[in-house]
Amino acid sequence: MHPIFTNGKQLGLYIFGYLPIGAVLVIGFGHADTWGTATAFFLPLTVLYGFLGMTAYFVCRAFPINQHNLIWRALPALAMAALTAGAFSVGIAWAWAAVLESLTLNVHPKMYLEQPWTLFAVGVLLFGLSIAFHYALIASLEAQRSESQMLESKLLVRDAELKALRAQLNPHFLFNSLNSVSALTASDPAGARHMCLLLADFLRDTLRLGAAQRITVREEFIVLQRYLAIEQVRLGSRLSVDCTGSDQALHETIPALLLQPLVENAVVHGIAHRLEGGTVSIRAEIHDSALVMSIANPADADRPRGQGNGFGLNLVRQRLQAYYGASYVFAASEADGLYRTEIHVPLAAGDLSA
Amino acid sequence: MSETDDTLTVIVVDDESPARLLVREYLAVHGDMRLVAECANGFEAVKAANTHKPDLLILDVQMPKLDGFEVLELLGSEARAVIFTTAFDSYALRAFNVHAVDYLLKPYSAERFAEALALARARLRKAEPVPARELLETRRDGAPLDRLLIRDRSNVHVIPIDDVDYVESQDDYISIRAGGKSYLKEQAISDLEQQLSPKAFVRIHRRFLLNLSRLAKIELSEKETRIAILLDRTQLPISRSGYVKLRAILDN
Repeated sequence: MHPIFTNGKQLGLYIFGYLPIGAVLVIGFGHADTWGTATAFFLPLTVLYGFLGMTAYFVCRAFPINQHNLIWRALPALAMAALTAGAFSVGIAWAWAAVLESLTLNVHPKMYLEQPWTLFAVGVLLFGLSIAFHYALIASLEAQRSESQMLESKLLVRDAELKALRAQLNPHFLFNSLNSVSALTASDPAGARHMCLLLADFLRDTLRLGAAQRITVREEFIVLQRYLAIEQVRLGSRLSVDCTGSDQALHETIPALLLQPLVENAVVHGIAHRLEGGTVSIRAEIHDSALVMSIANPADADRPRGQGNGFGLNLVRQRLQAYYGASYVFAASEADGLYRTEIHVPLAAGDLSA
Repeated sequence: MSETDDTLTVIVVDDESPARLLVREYLAVHGDMRLVAECANGFEAVKAANTHKPDLLILDVQMPKLDGFEVLELLGSEARAVIFTTAFDSYALRAFNVHAVDYLLKPYSAERFAEALALARARLRKAEPVPARELLETRRDGAPLDRLLIRDRSNVHVIPIDDVDYVESQDDYISIRAGGKSYLKEQAISDLEQQLSPKAFVRIHRRFLLNLSRLAKIELSEKETRIAILLDRTQLPISRSGYVKLRAILDN
């Protein structure tokens, strides 16, 4: 169906647009003593032409113009359509004249039928205009559609990324951990069991927290420490952890697992690239009525930059954006061999008393 | 170099001690294999390889400073047989390209490990050397090198590519000038040229590859030849075709 019928206002505007053309025809064909007849004949006639012109939509759809189909390839078909429309318009004019003559309104438009070629030319011309209008209409509809598709896909991507974050589990982390368990089984069964329990606790946390919207900083710290305890089995003495927060900060709530990607970066892109290892420092404090959280680790200046930590940083930034809008600060810096990320978020209302 | 005809020497390289523990345990039942060194990083691996000349390397891919592929590049043809171990399946193709004997995905079973050892024995019997040149070409995975690795007996120098002033070809070697020092490496200058970003390094002469950011000016000498003057006043000759390449980049 023609898209203009989906909206009554648009249809009205479209038909209204034909009235000035009707007025031009009235002026062109009318004389001092035939204004009444010309108006009664041409104004409704142009409205009928308007409906005839709508068929141009289907012609335009059948012969789209784009990079692959240039206008001259559509030209013969368009010309045929316009000529046919011209013939139809003569027929419509003839029928309308007959209707008017049969009514006893004392209007006699028959004289206009004595110039059929002029009417034909007018019909062809109007149909040509209609074709141009419809190409423009189709182009604008396409543009609208692609824009809404883009917005929709953007939303989907964001949604998927949030889900990915929830599902958190980096498979390499899991496989490496399982390898450690496998290794400890024979030589250190107690150690292997300890590792299994750590893994189970961490997995349970990430699955459980997938459902919860916000958790306290204290709960977040517990998850992070479990993660780091597992990495400590793999990296041994190379990884040490320093995780502290003020009482007030620990009672604040944040989106669950917000800090996890940053801590994972600190281990995977920081400590793991250093022969001598180092300490991952995690802090949470209240400063100027904002919750300030930071993660710092020594970083090797010569580490390969190929895969980088950008994925985790982007995830965290997107989540901050989603939860706090513009009222957050997120900064990553590297100075004197220390890599540091810092997040400032507003305090959750009502938590101040805690 | 094995001690007797049927004992193979093995070095395991992994930065995670449980992973090394596992290899030691799995190896214990294979009487023809003798673990001669356990290394926690690439530098130790190069040193140990220099000392022990092992038959077989069991190499982790992701390690600090030098990854498994880089260790392999540094050892060149001294690495007679290599088994990679990693939790990442995405390195399999590269491992295949560098003629790894096998590629073990962590965690792996004792049976799978034994299969890999069987392949290693077969490879060592055939005594096919690993083609060193292919090692160089596959390490970078299409992206320009961001650092050069130079082995000086058992020491390894890692030179960030931005620190390199220029490279000079000397017969089968190249001399890499960086930070006021020169490093020798067994490589053809044209191979290195292909591995570097053509926007940063230009072959200004058959024998010279120049870091463009070190170029101060170009002077015309008396004999219609041009000379590149570097920021530290070093003078390098520019060949006719080198000048064409240089102009094309500088004019852009």
